[in-house]
Amino acid sequence: MTDVTPTTSILTVDDRTRRRNVAEKRFRTYGVIAITLAMLALVGLMTSIFSGGLPAFKQTFITLDVYLDPAKLDKDGSSDLEKIRKVSTFGYAPLIKKALEEQLAKPELAVEGLKSKDAAKMISKEGAAEMRRFVLANPDMIGETVSFKFLASGRIDGYYKGRVTMQSAERDKNVSPQQLQFADKLKDAGLLKTSFNWGFLTRADASENRPEAAGLGVAILGSVYMMVIVLFLALPIGVAASIYLEEFAPKNWFTDLVEVNISNLAAVPSIVFGILGLAIFINFAGLPQSAPIVGGLVLTLMTLPTIIIATRASLKAVPPSIRDAALGVGASKMQAVFHHVLPLAAPGILTGTIIGLAQALGETAPLLLIGMVAFVREYPSAPPEGFFDPAAALPVQVYNWTQRADPAFVERASGAIIVLLVFLLLMNTIAIILRRRFERRW
Amino acid sequence: MYDAPQLGNAMDQTTTKISARNVQVHYGDTHAIKDVNVDIDAKTVTAFIGPSGCGKSTFLRCINRMNDTIDICRVTGDILIDGEDIYDKRVDPVQLRAKVGMVFQKPNPFPKSIYDNVAYGPRIHGLAKNKSELDEIVEKSLRRGAIWDEVKDRLDAPGTGLSGGQQQRLCIARAVATEPEVLLMDEPCSALDPIATAQVEELIDELRSQFSVVIVTHSMQQAARVSQKTAFFHLGNLVEFGDTTQIFTNPQDERTQNYITGRIG
Amino acid sequence: MSDQHIVSAFDRDLEGIQAHVMKMGGLVEAAIVDASQSLLNQDEELSAEVIRRDQAIDDLDTLINEECANLIALRAPAALDLRMVLSVMKISGNLERIGDYAKNMAKRNTVLVQLTPIEGARGALQRMAREVQLMLKDVLDAFIERDVEKAQDVLLRDRDVDQMYNALFREFLTFMMEDPRHITPCMHLHFIAKNTERMGDHVTSIAEQTIYLVSGSMPEDNRPKATRYEPE
Repeated sequence: MTDVTPTTSILTVDDRTRRRNVAEKRFRTYGVIAITLAMLALVGLMTSIFSGGLPAFKQTFITLDVYLDPAKLDKDGSSDLEKIRKVSTFGYAPLIKKALEEQLAKPELAVEGLKSKDAAKMISKEGAAEMRRFVLANPDMIGETVSFKFLASGRIDGYYKGRVTMQSAERDKNVSPQQLQFADKLKDAGLLKTSFNWGFLTRADASENRPEAAGLGVAILGSVYMMVIVLFLALPIGVAASIYLEEFAPKNWFTDLVEVNISNLAAVPSIVFGILGLAIFINFAGLPQSAPIVGGLVLTLMTLPTIIIATRASLKAVPPSIRDAALGVGASKMQAVFHHVLPLAAPGILTGTIIGLAQALGETAPLLLIGMVAFVREYPSAPPEGFFDPAAALPVQVYNWTQRADPAFVERASGAIIVLLVFLLLMNTIAIILRRRFERRW
Repeated sequence: MYDAPQLGNAMDQTTTKISARNVQVHYGDTHAIKDVNVDIDAKTVTAFIGPSGCGKSTFLRCINRMNDTIDICRVTGDILIDGEDIYDKRVDPVQLRAKVGMVFQKPNPFPKSIYDNVAYGPRIHGLAKNKSELDEIVEKSLRRGAIWDEVKDRLDAPGTGLSGGQQQRLCIARAVATEPEVLLMDEPCSALDPIATAQVEELIDELRSQFSVVIVTHSMQQAARVSQKTAFFHLGNLVEFGDTTQIFTNPQDERTQNYITGRIG
Repeated sequence: MSDQHIVSAFDRDLEGIQAHVMKMGGLVEAAIVDASQSLLNQDEELSAEVIRRDQAIDDLDTLINEECANLIALRAPAALDLRMVLSVMKISGNLERIGDYAKNMAKRNTVLVQLTPIEGARGALQRMAREVQLMLKDVLDAFIERDVEKAQDVLLRDRDVDQMYNALFREFLTFMMEDPRHITPCMHLHFIAKNTERMGDHVTSIAEQTIYLVSGSMPEDNRPKATRYEPE
């Protein structure tokens, strides 16, 4: 006990109080420093990802008028689709080369020392394949001159993104300064343009030597399929399990054990789930490798604990007075839960589910083990069959691209990360909106 | 130990609604209610008073089997309502609770509209054949809850938006909507200000004409104001049960005396 | 039963009120003794003293009533405490009435000293007043000790006072029939006797309050009364 002596005035601050105030200020400063560090780290991360990844959303295109020579494409003039189909992609390459030769022949575009063979390398190898697809779709166009918008090759694209310079081109066996000069001239002539790269979002992955054609289409589709599977499996199973555990299960050692195990499951490293998926779903149950169904099942297992824990927490947060009120007017336990408790817990459950989904969306390790790292060129078909087709996933695509040699793939990997972040942001926004929307005071 | 009057006492003018015989309640190892015998009259307000943890709320919750929701709670002995044992195996607690309504300590309206709050009970018990019948029940219940005039223009407004006293009267209206015969109230005014308390007390007095009301209260003054019979619980025992006037002017048991005069017992 | 309230100020209030009642009882006893003494000795000064001191009794009555009102308003007494407050209010009223009768006795004494003395009456009145004063003392003891037996004893002793009054009544009647000049002093003396008898009734009322306080119910009205000549 301290004696209150009448001589102390509250207008003067005593030592004890001063020390206390100083300690408080110090603590606040620590807090501000901690937050600043965290913000700096975030800003650094974002800057590096966006500066590296944003160019992936731009792409250089070269527009060329190509004469679809019947002599090459339809040798006997029968217009028979079967025969046209026999002409491989290599058969189309000379047409592009020829079109470029025409351009090189123009005096204002001529570049000294640039052979038409090298000029043809400026166009992505994907160009010939695109042409072939066009011709197969429109065989009656053979003999006409058609304007095509070809992807520029990775190096030419890199030149306009600052990745390739005249100096580096001299040392590079894949690109020469003459090609770059020709590209500049094409640009002046309006034949070479840089525009938004929709292909990045829609195309399938491409091989090592044509980064310009690589896209996220299959990966996005694969991720969406998996999320659909996770949502439709994890949400009902998780919510049902939580409701039973929280509202109906007797409290005994067995339910305690289940509870502890669910909490432990949430802490299990994700790679372990991958091993489990490989052993059970693929080796034992015989489901196809690289399929969204297997990825979805594995991610469901991973997401379940998160959803169960979030759901139980929000069920617990519903005041018991509401249950009493419902039981008091003669509702059965199930009516009390489904009419009153669940609607009140819904925002929390949805938030937990979406956070769980977001976590699953970003998960890589287990997917590597079940073969989703495979190179997939074909789009999976529409669900439900599509669930069993091979597909990629966004985080795995990132992992994949960072493994490749061409620096253009690093750029694409960063771009893929941005897409992933946008998806995560979108899901978190939905979570916040749902919570705001349904949150009720009681 | 207080002995309940024998059943079928010829001198009894009022009819017995609830009678408890040798009721024991255990919470795990705790003996919460010890051998309680009591007869509660129909159309009477009976107050349960006693210090915290004396078992009065526990006993109240036995009357509509709300204790069933607690796993470790065991009830033995008989509680008869109109001569029927409510702990009989054939009794479904859900059906019982429609007959024995309950109002809780904290006003706990559902976070729904005022209308839905009152209509919920009749809906799940199928008391109304159509919308207009339901409307009638809702209006009648809100009138019985003495809150109709205050909310009749905003039945769609959320019940949680009302003031504390209004919420509690809404809860009473909700409880009477299922046409119970007994109304249990567990400290219904402990969260209310004196004006709201007075309104609820006035309402309880009106409800007496149609229901048997059992009220648990910490406020002895409230017990004195609203009840005709008072039971004093102490450490799980029913110490004394009698006319409220007698309990408050001339209690027979020393423990009752100590409690109601605020002495160190 | 514990004597202590959880709120100790409640105890202090109740004790304060009882102390005032006891003080008032002491003043009333003194008034009875002095008034009868002044009557016996025809002491006008003492009579004047008794009349003057009655104001203190009236003030105490007002004080006790106020304290009781405050206690009811602020502490909401129940059961024993409630009965205590209720009985104190009544006892205070009884004491105040007894004090008034004593004052009236003293007033009549100031008139009586100028009139023809009546033989033997003063002594008998003084004995009667003495009896009432002893009853009052006992009943106040019974009240403070919560002693029902003592209170019941006082209840029975009221019969003696009634009999004394009846004897005096007959005596005064005889005096007045003998000589009309005796009528005025006899009327005064009769009123004194009647008032003393009323004092006894108030004392029994205090005894009844004491019994109510302790037992919670009023005693059954089986008190033997010698009321043959009472015009009630």
